Amino acid sequence: MNDTATSVLRTVGLHKHYGKAEGLVRAVDDVNLEIARGEALAVMGPSGCGKSTLLHLLGGLDRPSGGEVWLAGKRVDGLSERGLAGMRRREIGFIFQSFHLMDELTAIENVELPALLAGRSPRQARRRALELLEQVGLADRGRHLPSALSGGQRQRVAIARALANEPLVVLADEPTGNLDSAATLEVLRLLDRLHTAGLTLVIVTHDQRVAATADRLVSMRDGALVDEMKLTGGSARKLSDLVATER
Amino acid sequence: MGTTLLVFRLAARDVRRHVAQAALLVVAIAAAAATLTMALALNGVTSQPYAATRAATKGPDVLANLTSASQAKDLIHASGVAAFSGPYPVAAATIRFDGRTAEVFAEGRDTAPAAVDQPASTAGTWVRPGGVVLERTFADALGVSAGDRVTLNGKSFKVAGIAVTAAQAPYPNLCYLTTNTCSFIINNGNSRDMGVIWMTTADAIGLTSKANPLTLYVLNLKLTNPGDAQAFVSQHFHPQAGAGGGPGRHLPVGSPHGLSAHAGPQFTGPVLSTWAGIASADALLVQDAQSVLEPGAFLLALLAIASVAVLVGRRLSEYARRVGVLKAVGGTPNLVAAVFLTENLALALFAAMLGTVTGWLLAPILTNPGAALVGTAGAPAISLVTVLQVAGLAVAVALAATLAPAIRAARTSTVASLNDAGRTPKRLGTLIRLSRRLPVPTLFAVRLVARRPRRALLSAANIAVTVTGIVAVLAFHADVDGKLGGAKYLAAGGLSDPVINRDEQMLAVVTVMLVTLAALNAIFTTWATVLDARRSSALMRALGARTRQLSAGLVVAQVLSALPGAIVGIPLGIVLFKAAVHDATPPPPLWLAATLLGTLAVMADLTVVPARFGTRQPVAEVLQADAA
Amino acid sequence: MQQEVVLAMLAKEPSQGFQLRARLNDALGPLSEALNAGQIYVTLGRLEKAGLVVLDDAASSADRERKVYVITAAGHERVGDWLAEVSWPKPDLAEFHLKLIAAASAGLADPISIVDAQRRELLRRLRDAERAEIAEPEGSDAALLLAGIVRRLQADLQWLEDCEASWTTRRKRQ
Repeated sequence: MNDTATSVLRTVGLHKHYGKAEGLVRAVDDVNLEIARGEALAVMGPSGCGKSTLLHLLGGLDRPSGGEVWLAGKRVDGLSERGLAGMRRREIGFIFQSFHLMDELTAIENVELPALLAGRSPRQARRRALELLEQVGLADRGRHLPSALSGGQRQRVAIARALANEPLVVLADEPTGNLDSAATLEVLRLLDRLHTAGLTLVIVTHDQRVAATADRLVSMRDGALVDEMKLTGGSARKLSDLVATER
Repeated sequence: MGTTLLVFRLAARDVRRHVAQAALLVVAIAAAAATLTMALALNGVTSQPYAATRAATKGPDVLANLTSASQAKDLIHASGVAAFSGPYPVAAATIRFDGRTAEVFAEGRDTAPAAVDQPASTAGTWVRPGGVVLERTFADALGVSAGDRVTLNGKSFKVAGIAVTAAQAPYPNLCYLTTNTCSFIINNGNSRDMGVIWMTTADAIGLTSKANPLTLYVLNLKLTNPGDAQAFVSQHFHPQAGAGGGPGRHLPVGSPHGLSAHAGPQFTGPVLSTWAGIASADALLVQDAQSVLEPGAFLLALLAIASVAVLVGRRLSEYARRVGVLKAVGGTPNLVAAVFLTENLALALFAAMLGTVTGWLLAPILTNPGAALVGTAGAPAISLVTVLQVAGLAVAVALAATLAPAIRAARTSTVASLNDAGRTPKRLGTLIRLSRRLPVPTLFAVRLVARRPRRALLSAANIAVTVTGIVAVLAFHADVDGKLGGAKYLAAGGLSDPVINRDEQMLAVVTVMLVTLAALNAIFTTWATVLDARRSSALMRALGARTRQLSAGLVVAQVLSALPGAIVGIPLGIVLFKAAVHDATPPPPLWLAATLLGTLAVMADLTVVPARFGTRQPVAEVLQADAA
Repeated sequence: MQQEVVLAMLAKEPSQGFQLRARLNDALGPLSEALNAGQIYVTLGRLEKAGLVVLDDAASSADRERKVYVITAAGHERVGDWLAEVSWPKPDLAEFHLKLIAAASAGLADPISIVDAQRRELLRRLRDAERAEIAEPEGSDAALLLAGIVRRLQADLQWLEDCEASWTTRRKRQ
């Protein structure tokens, strides 16, 4: 059991049910999870296993049927709608599979939006947005509409947006689901850079490439965690061994 | 043949899928159609029943008001006269019933039917000793039915019956001429609370006294050639200023509202009038109402167009993909346009039919021409012309609103249609920039308006039309109140003014229809906006906006689009009123301000509930549905 | 035919040559031709020489087909080591496939745990390859090679997931 002081997100017996009796669907079933500061956690599983639901519960986009969710040492599962909104504003950043950018806003307007919602002045918000666009390597595309950006670029804008209010943790739901191989690499590079700089990440994915970049990997099936694996400090093999085994 | 069938099948299927929207389209057009039907029915309503009454009562071609019975002889024996009745003595009296008072002219009649002008009973029987008959409009105003007891000059009489006549314009426009203008100004003012009653000659003479002598006789003439009536009158009636005998001028006809109150010099000779003049006086009853109904129908038509445009705009975004599919399976652009147009035209025609029938059923409320004339017991006959006019309106409305989108839908390339997830929202950069400085609800509101400027404009147009109508109606009310204030005698007598009653009825109907349609429009526009904004608001919630901020934003967005419409509607309403009613006073500014604020408040209220619903769905659901 | 495969098949019980061949054919289906199941007697001979199996003279007859082979203690040990191994010979999936079948039929180990262990190993390798790819500057030749390695590992991992799903279903059915 990790020290709560360093865990950013923690769940205790978290579950989410739909329906009742024979129609009861356990979307998330008694999940106990702990994510340390600066950790990158990947959640894998077949479709319908509940990993997206778990993410929504963690991020306050949905209310659990039971169990506890702790964010930075504060209990958040019972917060009012107002409280949850505040949490999403300040402490949580979201990245979606379909990017979910506002089509009628330029890249920079999309990125500054969370800051505006948090009450920053327009100038502050704009400055922060420019910084972030630089970080994701799209400083020259600030005035473009999403329709003028490629998939990888759109997701990078979405990542910049997720970072607008310096969240404690970024939750990503299939961030590379709609991207081709090259765009996936783009996004993985960015996420890796951010993670190295200290960002805490929870990534739901079915792509092993993405999962492999995490520090820790949990597998879900039928709403429950069935496996956990630390990916760091793995085999002592050198890179050359990988090539050697091709023979 | 196959194509036509296909077009109809596709159109039918589309309607089935969007029943609610189709229903609203139908309601919008039907309301406009109903009002128009009523207006048109009212248009020709009095001329026909007057003719019917004239036939049923053997109405006179020329009416003579005499100051003595002897004046009748020359007229009776004049050339061209085919039949006559009278001269009948007319006594002035005061009638009292159930606390109400009025002045009456009591014609003394024979119990046997007359050769000319035998009033037709609509209730009870004809005169008998002790039994009087009241003219129908007057009886309605007084609240009297057959069998009641009334007091005339202190004497009690039984009401033997109610009847209509073609020889007098109905209360309150009746006109016994002994001066150069109608006698209801005898009492030195705007007194119009005078009615006609009939009784036996003996009873009539019994009402006179030394203080109240018999000074008026009525003679009804039928000519061999009714068309000669005007010539006959000119021949025998020469107006002469000052006292002295001789025939006078012919009956002036004008709005009772406008007649000036000077009593002219008294004529001692017969005063003649034609049946045509009476017919016009008859029409006075509905003339005002018509001036309300026509602009009312016009406004409703505008509202119908606006609501159809919003409806069609919304459906087009769902239609775009269907259009693509149709084209992908080989449908030509013409087919696409045909399906779209067919659907809307069919609905429009159905609505027109519905509206016409509704108008036909409701019309008796309005077209009952003062109860004075025969032949309006049931629904008025709607001519083929009326039906065609209404259908034409409906088709015009449908075409106006759907032609452009249909052509555009047909022209969009197939690929674009298939890829189009809806109308791509516009981008008004300036508004977006400005909104950054605003608090979250207003920021959201401004951006919502900026996304769909055309819908905002339509909403404003809706409100403008509604406010125009409401202001015009209020102005009319103010005007009527002003006039009522001046008519002290009516208030004193306790009678209701049928003209004003009729006007108010008309106003009430038009107002109700206007407001209902506008409310439906507002609800629909709101609903469309809320649905449209679902994704944006879900996204904003994911980014940390509060639900309350967003539903407030939706309300503000509606009010923002309504505001310019309301502001424009006020002067337009006054212009419309001034155009419809001559010589009118504009309503007090306080009412106008109240209308403006009231409209905005109602708009906000209508939005609140859909806004709450629209922002309540769990974010995850909305975003996933959108991504699918 | 890999020696360890035949050995594992003998771990459950002694068998005759033709029985072993039949089971191999079953397990390999249309691929049994290509994989030369007929070679089994050569393999059995090698195993005998290495002392990993012995012939049960009492039960055997002269016919080579009907000779009965029995696994020795050393053979058992060898099978155990083999099952625990996570080296990943390329591109011969057949061996792993047979490993699972052998483990299941002999009750030696849970095939799902074997799959899991292999998955973990491959994931670690994938991670190494992926990190290397990310670290490379765009367009470098090494990046391309690494991309290829990543893809193959991905493909194998995909198949391992299929194995896990399939064996889980199989177990559920039993």
